[in-house]
Amino acid sequence: MNFLRISHKRQLLLIALIMIPVFAVLFVRVGYLMIYRSEYYSEKADDLHERERTIKAARGVIYDANGTEIASNRTVCTISVVHNQVKQPDEVIAMLSAELGIDEAKIKGLVEKRSSREIIKTNVDKKTGDKIRNYGYEGVKVDEDYKRYYPYGSMASKVLGFTGADNQGIIGLEVEYEDVLKGTNGKLLTLTDAAGIEIDDAAEKRIEPVAGNNLKLSLDVNIQKYAEQAALKVMEKKNAKRVSVIIMNPQNGELLAMVNCPEFDLNAPYKLSDSIEKPLSGKEYSDALNNMWRNTCINDTYEPGSTFKIITMSAALDAGVVGLNDTFHCGGFRVVEDRRIHCHKVIGHGTETFVQGAMNSCNPVFIDVGLRLGVDRFYEYFNRFGLLSKTGIDLPGEASTIMHKKENMGEVELATVSFGQSFQITPIQLVTTAASLVNGGRRVTPHFGVEVMSSDGESITKLEYKTTGGIISEETSKTVRYILEKVVSEGSGSKAYIEGYSIGGKTATSEKLPRKTGRYISSFLGFVPADNPQVIALITIDEPEGVYYGGTIAAPVIKEIYENILPYLEIEKTEGKLSGEEE
Amino acid sequence: MKKDQRSLGDKLKSWIMQDRGGYDYTLLFAIIFIACFGLVMVYSSSSYVAYTQFGSSFYFFKRQAFFMLLGIAAMFVVSKIDYHLWLKFAVLGILSAIVLMLLVNFTPFGIEFNGKKRWFGIAGHSLFQAAEYVKIVLIIGLAAYVNRVGKRVDKWPTIVITALISIPLCLLVAMNNLSTGIILVGITFVMVYIASQKKVLYIILVVLAVVGGVSAVFLGDQFVKMGILKPYQFERIYVWLDPEAYALEGGHQVIQGLYAIGSGGLFGKGLGKSLQKLGFVPEARNDMIFSIICEELGVIGALALIAMFMFVIYRLFRAAINAPDLVGAMITIGVMTHIAIQVILNVAVVTNTIPNTGVTLPFISYGGTSVIFLFLEIGLALSVSNLSRCKR
Repeated sequence: MNFLRISHKRQLLLIALIMIPVFAVLFVRVGYLMIYRSEYYSEKADDLHERERTIKAARGVIYDANGTEIASNRTVCTISVVHNQVKQPDEVIAMLSAELGIDEAKIKGLVEKRSSREIIKTNVDKKTGDKIRNYGYEGVKVDEDYKRYYPYGSMASKVLGFTGADNQGIIGLEVEYEDVLKGTNGKLLTLTDAAGIEIDDAAEKRIEPVAGNNLKLSLDVNIQKYAEQAALKVMEKKNAKRVSVIIMNPQNGELLAMVNCPEFDLNAPYKLSDSIEKPLSGKEYSDALNNMWRNTCINDTYEPGSTFKIITMSAALDAGVVGLNDTFHCGGFRVVEDRRIHCHKVIGHGTETFVQGAMNSCNPVFIDVGLRLGVDRFYEYFNRFGLLSKTGIDLPGEASTIMHKKENMGEVELATVSFGQSFQITPIQLVTTAASLVNGGRRVTPHFGVEVMSSDGESITKLEYKTTGGIISEETSKTVRYILEKVVSEGSGSKAYIEGYSIGGKTATSEKLPRKTGRYISSFLGFVPADNPQVIALITIDEPEGVYYGGTIAAPVIKEIYENILPYLEIEKTEGKLSGEEE
Repeated sequence: MKKDQRSLGDKLKSWIMQDRGGYDYTLLFAIIFIACFGLVMVYSSSSYVAYTQFGSSFYFFKRQAFFMLLGIAAMFVVSKIDYHLWLKFAVLGILSAIVLMLLVNFTPFGIEFNGKKRWFGIAGHSLFQAAEYVKIVLIIGLAAYVNRVGKRVDKWPTIVITALISIPLCLLVAMNNLSTGIILVGITFVMVYIASQKKVLYIILVVLAVVGGVSAVFLGDQFVKMGILKPYQFERIYVWLDPEAYALEGGHQVIQGLYAIGSGGLFGKGLGKSLQKLGFVPEARNDMIFSIICEELGVIGALALIAMFMFVIYRLFRAAINAPDLVGAMITIGVMTHIAIQVILNVAVVTNTIPNTGVTLPFISYGGTSVIFLFLEIGLALSVSNLSRCKR
């Protein structure tokens, strides 16, 4: 029998001692993983265990000035399948195919796909969703969420805009007020096992969605509808390409209506109008969509033509370079430097006062006035009136003014700018500038958004916009109003005259570039009442066929709109003539 | 020097003198405690999968409980039998182990699971995992041989015969079960080292193994970069270094284990509250059970369990030192080494401290063969402790 020697014991002790640092390393390692790295691995594990379903937040409602919903939400359903929970795949496939009208083969592919959750179809209406839920098949999930809905269809389409699949704004006010309208999506977290099966007794974590805030606009559905009808009528009658109407409160810049005919259906924004020939390539399709969604009042510039004489007039009167009874002579043209610039009346207006020149919309008169101002002063007024910057309207994509550089501006350029040619501005810029000149000289910011309200209707903020006073004197503003009232009561804008109302306005007929192709933009800008404007409107008719004079075709449309909306706006008739500025 | 050695010997002696040995009830109860704890954890980690796969959440629990009762009973019997009895069967045992391994590896008696032939069975019915039998046979065989050669232990013929006993078995096992092969090598190495007086040889071996292992990692990486080795041949290393980047190549199991361990935190989610056991961690009741223990019982529970194993190892160490004779000490050392290596490897693998290799956690992991043979080994150690009273 062999005994255990002391050397054996010593070597055994050595082995045992070696184990101590080995176990110490394991202790440290376990401690490191479970304490120091705990957060990291816990988070990863939670991600793994939790199946997350988004609960869409309701987007804020957009109201018009009367509190009518013009953009709201409709409940729709998202249909999805959880592969591991489906017990009767064939029945499920057949049912989904029948209810959703999707090809069976396609659904089969989705149902049989080994994923934790496969979405079959989104934006299914609630009725169909309820029906599918009532079948009670295991593994078929019907989740309700919200989809944007526009009760008025195409009304003010380019102003309101629409939302995409994730309820985010794509164009228009929906984009501009994204942060206001957008809510915070909620989450539904369920624990699952490795096969993706939800664990029955595990508590569901539910993070409630927060609805977006509501937005109240100055836009008035009734006025918008009147304006749209009138615009559509003239567009069809004159076979015009486009007709735009802007109606604004000149005192504060609140926009009451903005029409861009042809409008499109906000509930089907990706459907091109039938007049477009198909099929289109991908790029052509997206170009056509962008074209359809374009808000020409804001996104496009044009040569304003004679309506711009309001600005020249205001600058000249404010600078004191012209008086109402200064006389001018029009021989049908004016020679500036080496250039012969024609008046629209070829034989000329003869001798006329400044007021008469305005009533006749005589180009030579305004060329003379512009030249009297000179480039420096004209440019200064142009800038002071806010024409060089954007209006700051609460819509995306406003185009900038396209104007000569001051150093490149000679007499010829000055002469043409004086009557509204050789530069481009947006319709919203024109109407805003005109409004600021006739409201007493306060440059206003055009806008739709008035108030942000919480989802339960309480006011959160009243939106405020910048106003810059004193761009011209109150006195000059009054004179301008007087002259423009004359234009409508006795001059070229007479077709806008409504018995009993004092209306100020200016017509324009601008030839589109390139010249001599017979394409015109006819427009009319008018405001009521002439002595204290409460409403101002601008119509532009793009490429009318036949008679194209602004005074003939545009002015009557504004008249028609005013006949409808002035009583509605409770603007009372002023009996008799405006007590004007007679010298 | 001599003075030092003597004082160390004195210290050892006085330490040992405190407890003159006798049947080691402390070890017995520690083992039963660990086994019961293991049974609870097997239930916790397997119930969900058992329910979804077999319709009964107790499926694995019941089987494990049965084998444990069987094992405990066998342990009692063995612990009351004089361990010298088994020495007579040492040669037979080694030969039978070789035959068994040949049968399993090369004949239909070997039954394949997950592509590995590890089970001995008859006509397709699997009976037990052959490698577990090899472990206990090797321990007894080596102890008997070391005892027999006595002082000739460091002579070359002895070394050659030792190698002949151990190496064929290690290789046969390693064919289908690399990690158990490594464990067998480890047991052999420790037992022979303690028996031997020639330390230089072993120090050289250890240095060679360490240098070889480290250089294999670096060279292998270089070879893969040079295109000499294919990346899959080196996969385990890559998985070990960055399991998340190599999830598909085998990192999955490691990552899931780490998620479980990490989400345990200080106190754990509570017994039965693991989520990773719901099919996320592969082998949750088996090789990876330690990760579920971490998740449910936290760092406190995990370290307590390791401490419990350390205590068992300590009791086995005492039993070896107190052993009445060399052969008893060698058997106990074999058992101690076996348990220590498996605990260390298992915890190290599950925590991704070393590259992945399949090792079970003794007395905790699910598995009938493993549990029964482990109890038998403890029975042997208890038997040694039982006779230590009559020492000298």
